[in-house]
Amino acid sequence: MSGDTPARTATAEDPQYPEPTVGTVEPPRSTSYLAEVWVNFKRWNLKALRNPFIVVGSVVQPVVFLLLFSEVFGGVVGAAIGDAAGVDYLTYLVPAIVVQVALIAASSSGIGLVNDIENGMFEKVLVTPMRRSAVFLGKTLSEMIRVVVQGALIVVLGVLLGATVETGVLGAVAMLGVAVLFSLWFTAFSNVLALVTRDQESTIIGANLLTFPLLFVSSAFLPIEALPGWMQVVARLNPITYGVDATRTLMLEGWDWAALAPDLAVLVALDVVLGTVAVVMLSRASSARV
Amino acid sequence: MHPVSSTTDDRPDGSPRPDAIRAQHVSVTYASGTEAVKDVSLTVPEGEFFGFLGPNGAGKTTTIKALVTLLDPTGGTVTVNGFDVRRDRRALRASVGYMAQETSVDLELTARENIRFACEAYGVPRAERAARIDELLDLVDLAAVADDQAKTYSGGMKKRLDVATALVHRPPLVFLDEPTTGLDPKARNRLWEYFREINDAGTTVFLTTQYLEEADQLCDRLAVIDDGHIVAEGTPAELKARVGGDVLDVDLIDDDESSRDRAVRVVRESGLLDGEGSVSRTETGVSVTSLHARRVGTDLLVALRDAGVAVEGFEVHSPTLDDVFLAITGTPASERATSADGESEPSEGPTDQKVGR
Repeated sequence: MSGDTPARTATAEDPQYPEPTVGTVEPPRSTSYLAEVWVNFKRWNLKALRNPFIVVGSVVQPVVFLLLFSEVFGGVVGAAIGDAAGVDYLTYLVPAIVVQVALIAASSSGIGLVNDIENGMFEKVLVTPMRRSAVFLGKTLSEMIRVVVQGALIVVLGVLLGATVETGVLGAVAMLGVAVLFSLWFTAFSNVLALVTRDQESTIIGANLLTFPLLFVSSAFLPIEALPGWMQVVARLNPITYGVDATRTLMLEGWDWAALAPDLAVLVALDVVLGTVAVVMLSRASSARV
Repeated sequence: MHPVSSTTDDRPDGSPRPDAIRAQHVSVTYASGTEAVKDVSLTVPEGEFFGFLGPNGAGKTTTIKALVTLLDPTGGTVTVNGFDVRRDRRALRASVGYMAQETSVDLELTARENIRFACEAYGVPRAERAARIDELLDLVDLAAVADDQAKTYSGGMKKRLDVATALVHRPPLVFLDEPTTGLDPKARNRLWEYFREINDAGTTVFLTTQYLEEADQLCDRLAVIDDGHIVAEGTPAELKARVGGDVLDVDLIDDDESSRDRAVRVVRESGLLDGEGSVSRTETGVSVTSLHARRVGTDLLVALRDAGVAVEGFEVHSPTLDDVFLAITGTPASERATSADGESEPSEGPTDQKVGR
């Protein structure tokens, strides 16, 4: 198609050739919003399943956490905590591990985003007609699946080992719902971190820097009252405390809405605030309208 | 600079082809204050294979990103396939294919899954997907490895898969941003074949490249961008003419001064250059620059032999982008690339774009 034809200016400057029209293409078929969410949900699930480390890690990690923590902490402080709470330490621990695995699953969300940015898929997806929010929602939903699967493993294993769920099966499902609610704010945070650093290693380090200190300075493994004074202040400001308290209420006490409502309100507020920040930053990163 | 305007053949009824791309005085300024694109105007008619040349940092990628809605032009107007780049983003995106400079495939997915994802993302009807996927796998010669993960592919195979995913919705216009950079000659030639095929089938192609040879091989018409401005436009032949055509270098067995002078005289008196072009002595023979260097090269060699000038070897080559830049701006492209890399077209994302218009 290499052309040697002489230049020909098809504009009004040359009356021999009329002004060309601007080409028009039929507007595309509109795909439904749910279909767009589904496309992205499928892609991220497929990627997770393709990664044996994620598949095995997702199953093994919660089991290891539950067994390890119940053995280590159960032997040292389990009796005291069990006596105070009126339950065995395993039952006390299950809600904490559910929140912990939710936290760790959420912290890896940004890594996927950085990976997509690095290998060009982020831009490739953005140049498709799919709606931005559907793209991000599909990715987030696939990550929530991991939270639910891992959380369910913990609850089932806990029950098999002798833990009891005061609110029954419905309560166990509600615990997984709380885990999802809890993980959303950290998922948002992880994605913000990814957009700021645009580097996998930095995203992992940044998330880990927060994950473990926050876990131990919370009500996860010990009652807040058992922590040193200054830690109690931090623990009461720590979102993990609210996630653990809500799941623990369902596990140990029942449908105590007076106790659940404030915890859920804090989680929802965190989700809204950090979710908004993440959506704004993702929009800025993905939209030309900045 | 006037808008780069169309030159390709009109439609059978004599009316001009509609413009697939019409950009007027486009500028893009990053948040850092860098003006990556300062004033670019161009029109590309439907069906044309259009080349956009320039050294690194000249503004090629920024321009292409502005045309596909990945960057908002800070100034000017852009219409692509009849859709305004600011107002009709979704419709515009659905009507174009885009292959980024860096290979963009999901390495964890197979070729089939990558193409299927693209089909679903572009809303290819479910009933057509399987056939479309097979057709594209065949087009890019990946059918045999369709179910292997893309991370096992060579660089060339990934590029071909990238091409396939850009074509799933049979877009009437495809943007290819330096698609062959970093590929070996074999992989590059295969991609050229695909690009010719889709263009022959009626697809408008907008190709950015650093290589004049690539543009010469593929493009109907070219524009050259430098420092955010279009500095030249025309057909490959016209651009080469700015340089003076192709170059025939002849090495002589006897390369003393008198032999070389004699060779120069033979070439000039042969009449084969039709009064244009130039011939000069080199250290080992003579160099002929002419629009007809390829066509008359053999005849010139015969003329030299008949005149008793013994030829040791010869080479005909196209002018490089450096030659074009040298002719247009007086500065080699390579020098401009060095100075522009860190300044003219930062590798920043859209977040770094200047707020406001």
